[in-house]
Amino acid sequence: MPNPLYSFPRHLRAIVTGLRYLVAPNRMTVYYPEKVIELPPGYRGLIRYHPELCIQCGLCAMICPAAAMKMYVKKGEKRGRPGVNYQRCIFCGFCVDICPQNALEMVRVHDIAYERWEDMVLLPEKLAQEPVSPALAEGAKVVRTVFSEERGLVHEPA
Amino acid sequence: MSSVSSLSGVALPEGVVRSRLLVREGGEEVYELFIGPQHPSSGHMRFIVRLEGDVIVSVDPDIGYVHRTMEKLAEGREAIKAIPLLERMTIIDSHNVTIGLVRALEKLLDVEPPPRARYLRTLLSEINRIASHLYGIGIAGIMLNHSTMFMWAFGDREVWLQLAEELTGARLTHTYSVPGGVRRDLPQGFAGKAEKAIRYMTRRLEEYKRIFLENPQVVARYEGVGVLKRHEASRLGIVGPNLRASGIRYDARIAEDYAAYSEVEFEIPTFEEGDSYARMKQRVEEIKQSMHIIRQVLQKMPSGPFFAEKYLRLLPPKLRDQVLSTGSLKFPAVFATMKLPQGEAVARAEMGHGEIFYHVISDGGSKPYRLRVVTPSFRNVILFRYLMPGHRFMDFPAIYGSLDYFPPEADR
Amino acid sequence: MGLLEWLISLVLSPQVFAPLIFPGLITALVVLLTVIWAERKIAARVQMRVGPLYVTRRFGGVLQMLADGTRYMFQEFIIPETSDKPYFVFAPILALTLAILPFAFIPAAPGFSPVKSPLSLLGVLAVTSSVPLAVLLMGWSSGNKFAIQGAVREAFMTVAYEAVVFISALAMGIAYGTLDLEEAVLRQHLPGILLNPISAFAFFVGMVMSAGKLPFDIVEGEQEIVVGPYVEYSGIIFGIGMGLAYLKLYAFSLLFSLLYLAGWEPLLIPLYNLYPALGGILLFVKAYLVMLFVVFLRSVYGRYRLDQALRAGWRVYFPLALLSVLLSVVVRVVGYA
Repeated sequence: MPNPLYSFPRHLRAIVTGLRYLVAPNRMTVYYPEKVIELPPGYRGLIRYHPELCIQCGLCAMICPAAAMKMYVKKGEKRGRPGVNYQRCIFCGFCVDICPQNALEMVRVHDIAYERWEDMVLLPEKLAQEPVSPALAEGAKVVRTVFSEERGLVHEPA
Repeated sequence: MSSVSSLSGVALPEGVVRSRLLVREGGEEVYELFIGPQHPSSGHMRFIVRLEGDVIVSVDPDIGYVHRTMEKLAEGREAIKAIPLLERMTIIDSHNVTIGLVRALEKLLDVEPPPRARYLRTLLSEINRIASHLYGIGIAGIMLNHSTMFMWAFGDREVWLQLAEELTGARLTHTYSVPGGVRRDLPQGFAGKAEKAIRYMTRRLEEYKRIFLENPQVVARYEGVGVLKRHEASRLGIVGPNLRASGIRYDARIAEDYAAYSEVEFEIPTFEEGDSYARMKQRVEEIKQSMHIIRQVLQKMPSGPFFAEKYLRLLPPKLRDQVLSTGSLKFPAVFATMKLPQGEAVARAEMGHGEIFYHVISDGGSKPYRLRVVTPSFRNVILFRYLMPGHRFMDFPAIYGSLDYFPPEADR
Repeated sequence: MGLLEWLISLVLSPQVFAPLIFPGLITALVVLLTVIWAERKIAARVQMRVGPLYVTRRFGGVLQMLADGTRYMFQEFIIPETSDKPYFVFAPILALTLAILPFAFIPAAPGFSPVKSPLSLLGVLAVTSSVPLAVLLMGWSSGNKFAIQGAVREAFMTVAYEAVVFISALAMGIAYGTLDLEEAVLRQHLPGILLNPISAFAFFVGMVMSAGKLPFDIVEGEQEIVVGPYVEYSGIIFGIGMGLAYLKLYAFSLLFSLLYLAGWEPLLIPLYNLYPALGGILLFVKAYLVMLFVVFLRSVYGRYRLDQALRAGWRVYFPLALLSVLLSVVVRVVGYA
């Protein structure tokens, strides 16, 4: 058995540490969907396609590691325009990084939920629309993550 | 514990220690339990535990439940597509998993990343290492049903994931290193945020000590339990903090010069006891060393491009200026169809769980001929067989938590 | 009308009111609901999160356990083929009945106890020691290896804490010179915790062991034996099994408040004149605070190993209990002198 003179003060120290946090808690919960975190610049969210910049080179579909990006060829087009299958997309951003015309961009939205399996396959026309976060559309307040030395992460209203 | 000493390891004269299975399996005194995949604390695997009373006689780990055939999948894709694929082996430590592969590819392609890219890789590697160790400490806590340690470790991990998100754009699936350099440059204000995170974490490690590491109840569960002796650790081929807690100072960051580890100063902590308590303390010490490395990297960060000139010059001048001004990479078009020169390359990296080893063989095409990866958890799984017998049944989750074993990584 | 008056006087008599309403069955169920919620909220405060919130959002989610209980009511109660069916169904009901029996002896206010006996302390202790038998029956009849392991652990733990709790409580009996719980409260000029702190400490640790709360939640060791003896139970019977430990804790905290925290003193006279049981509301408050502290320990500790708990019970707390008997004798002699 360990020495009680050694262990009893340490038991008390552990209990006091717990009591300190009971009295002054440091909660880091964000009350989604009433509050929504503003994502940092450069966040790799859903993809937006700008058809007016696209030169139909097909590089995005060639480099997609998950075979989520496919070219949809209409009559008369050479290699077609890209569409995304979000059932397979891993949001790696390779397609955005390789597009030579900056026709693909990753928007700072991540919380779109689809109700039907078929809705997750986006044709080029759908991909050209700006994705909108459903929580923001229903009037959530935006909070921003701020680093703090005492509390770690603090979420302040933006 | 007199009933236990009769079941301790049998040492043959040549110094070989056999598995400590002394009761004939299937005997009437043996109580067989399947700690199967449907169990709150078995992870993604199954254990066939044989008990005699309360004492474990043998443990057979049954791995393979999360096998995703990653090595075979990598043979069907171009080399650069293997990076996000293999990252999902250990998603909690994703940069350390892929940097080995990227080094191997760079050796094949004969391209060297510029100094700034090497420092940025070190930065993200150390952030990932801290997050991985916090994950391990948290899981060890919940294995003892110490829910506060679990919640605190995962809550504090959010700080580091937020830092990684600001650097790479994703919380866990970074895909940051590519052959030639990295994909994003350091954003503005990052150094200040990292300093706040380091100060917060230093304070929190003291709290962890008070409520978990020096809690007499936790010490009683961990001290003297699951002792891995030095010569056994070296004979069984253990890697990572488990090895260093048994007294062997081996770290792949020193053994192989990758990223910027040869240009920063850090210590490799070791402990002599080799029991579960030493392994837990080892992880905390390694977190402190990682924070020390992050401070040095941010101080000494060299200026310059973050991607190799060999590929940057393939970009049209407008895109090249955009890359250097926005700090966000554009791949040259050749990346989609890049052919790997014929040959083999070997690379090692140090993950949070231990050393990972890559062997890439290419036959001149764009897809690798063979991609072999040896993960640290795959090497450590043997410890379930050798450490457990002779202990009481309730030591099973204590030892499991202290080993920081990650089944998806072992099964690939 | 004669019948209605007779019914009301029956319900308000101590023999029916105390075991059934206060501090008995109905209060125990309310305590169960709120203390589990309090445990989750306390643990959440320490652990940097919020805890259950969305049921009755404005009150912080306090009716969460009612929602959980309602869900358990509608869940199918599956009886496994390989279990011993009559005992499988009978054991938790037996356990619940035995866990409620102590309230037959516990006085809520002066002169308001259902079974007035000069040996009520012994009665409470004897009855609470019978609950582990029902848990053993639960574990054995389930026909599941994890359940049997849990039942065996329950047997071991009972052996560890029974002697400690009994001897500490009897030490207080010596200090007060009576085994009647009402008399014990009346003779506490100083609260028992100051008269004999060693006995209070040993009793408290024994109480935590018996209720299966961290650091001694070995019987429901989720990480090793899933939920121990309760693993095959589903539906409302699972809810009963989970509530069983809290009922034991409630009975023991009432005992702790009576023996060590001066029970219902100071007695609230106006409430007492209104109806005797209401005068003892302070006893209930003290017991509830003791329970809150015990569930707070969940956020500080992990679980002890079984042999460590047994060793602690016999090598540390049993000698402490014997020492407390000695201290009680000294206190009694000095008190008389």
